[in-house]
Amino acid sequence: MVEQVIMRQDIALDDFLTIFVSSGLVLVFGGLYVGIYTAVKVELLKTWTMPIAYIFWVLTAYCLYLMGSLMHVGEFTAKALVVAAFGILLLPHAVYYMQDQVHQQNEH
Amino acid sequence: MANKFTGIGSESKQLATWYFTFAAILLGAQLVFGLVAAIQYVMPGFLFELLDFSVARMLHINALVVWMVFAMFGSVYYLLPDETGIETVGIKVGKLLYWIFVAAIVVVVLVYLFIQVGPATETSIWFIHEGREYIEAPRWADWGIVVVALGFVGNLFLTGMKGNRSGIVTVLMADMIAFAGLYLAGMFFTDNITLDQYWWWWVIHLWVEATWEVFVGSIAAYGLIQMIGASRKVVEMWLWIEVAMLFGSGILGIGHHYFWIGTPEYWWEIGALFSALEPLPLVAMFIHVMYDWGKQQGKKVAGGSDESVVANKPAFVWFWMNAFGNFLGAGIWGFFHTLPQVNLYTHGTQFTSAHGHLAFFGAYATILIGMFYLAVQGSNGIKVLKHTKASIWSISLMVGGMLGMTMALTIAGYVQVLVSRAQMGATWAGYFDGQQGMWFAQAMDWRLIMGVVMFLGFALLAKDLLTTGKNPVHER
Repeated sequence: MVEQVIMRQDIALDDFLTIFVSSGLVLVFGGLYVGIYTAVKVELLKTWTMPIAYIFWVLTAYCLYLMGSLMHVGEFTAKALVVAAFGILLLPHAVYYMQDQVHQQNEH
Repeated sequence: MANKFTGIGSESKQLATWYFTFAAILLGAQLVFGLVAAIQYVMPGFLFELLDFSVARMLHINALVVWMVFAMFGSVYYLLPDETGIETVGIKVGKLLYWIFVAAIVVVVLVYLFIQVGPATETSIWFIHEGREYIEAPRWADWGIVVVALGFVGNLFLTGMKGNRSGIVTVLMADMIAFAGLYLAGMFFTDNITLDQYWWWWVIHLWVEATWEVFVGSIAAYGLIQMIGASRKVVEMWLWIEVAMLFGSGILGIGHHYFWIGTPEYWWEIGALFSALEPLPLVAMFIHVMYDWGKQQGKKVAGGSDESVVANKPAFVWFWMNAFGNFLGAGIWGFFHTLPQVNLYTHGTQFTSAHGHLAFFGAYATILIGMFYLAVQGSNGIKVLKHTKASIWSISLMVGGMLGMTMALTIAGYVQVLVSRAQMGATWAGYFDGQQGMWFAQAMDWRLIMGVVMFLGFALLAKDLLTTGKNPVHER
């Protein structure tokens, strides 16, 4: 019986720090995107700061890409990361819309 | 819904304060044994053969789980009269079970401390400890915990069915059934270590990343209504969405624990996909708290008042810390090492410890301390509970200490990844070489210093909670 061997591409030693920092920044930038978006919507921040929120989402997506490429992720994981990136983009819109609709229905 | 059951005379709230008091004592014990273990990293001979690292660590992490379970039970007993409008059904049984629970925990801790190890037969499993991280209680205590948990769930269900069943109570009823039921998965042994670990993770992961997170969502919903007068309809609607998202990503997120324990390789893909999705509900919970606070404060400002809408400032800060800390500790520090390609190197290093510390603190300790403050406010009849010097310093020192420990452990973990794993290939020599380097040693020194900072914060927290009732600064 021939045993199946799973081949895996090792991570280069010099890439570890970049991977850890970029994976941390994924959520730091993601958090800033979500935070600024929500703060503008609830009028805690001025409207002109909204583009900054989207810049943070672009940085989030870039960090995900960088992290994924340095880790040599497989096809499936790469798709999962793309889903996560778009999930982060859409989530605050969906959440805010739902929150706002419920408020509208209950207050007017 | 104010009535005679929701005020100071409520027996359920009184029972809740008992639970919170014992939880706070265990939190102190957790920190003390954590400090002992941290000293042993710096001075390996400290308390050698009196209280070895293995015993100190066991007490540290078991105390963590138990104080949180006590505080969770207390939280439910605290909110039940407010939510259902009636006194908790079976409160006398609840009080009896509380004392059984306390007695069992005290005996278990004394056995851990003074007997420590058994003959490695069935006797050890039944009377000393079971040897499973986090849930090491011996089997007699396991059965005791099952009886207490069943009594607690029974009280919750009977009260929920008899009184007004709000959305928060309904979610808690479903969640606590899962919470109690999952404990059973950690109560039996198999000879195969892979199978054994497979079931053990059902308790640890599915508790922490599914049922406990849903519990936090429910408590946050209750807290937002109590502290800032958030709309119940909005909060409860949002709670259901959080439940769906948390269970949707959290249950199969268990795959990230199945990467290297001998389970089939398809867990790599499942673990990677659902772990990547796990931060999303945490992001959503963060928005939820910010949204409700922003809206309520905005209404007040629009009405011409610049007063804060917050009726319990220390509790609100702890709840806010929870929204942020959950995202930071469970989200960011979890995402650091959740994908299998990276986890291959980080697994079992201080990275895991850094994540564990910040996630447990950020996701659970914060909100449960917030509940301590809500209980202190309620039991002393305080209308607006304000910040004191002690509350501000305790928050700053505890949060600062925890962040410092996390950074130190992350640096130590990074050294282990590079030296022990990547350069030396996870060998025996690599394990020791990784821990002898300057960076690792200094990181452990800083972890100890930050642990002391955290303990000082806890001492001030205890002082603040104990003196709140007599402090004239609060509005009555």
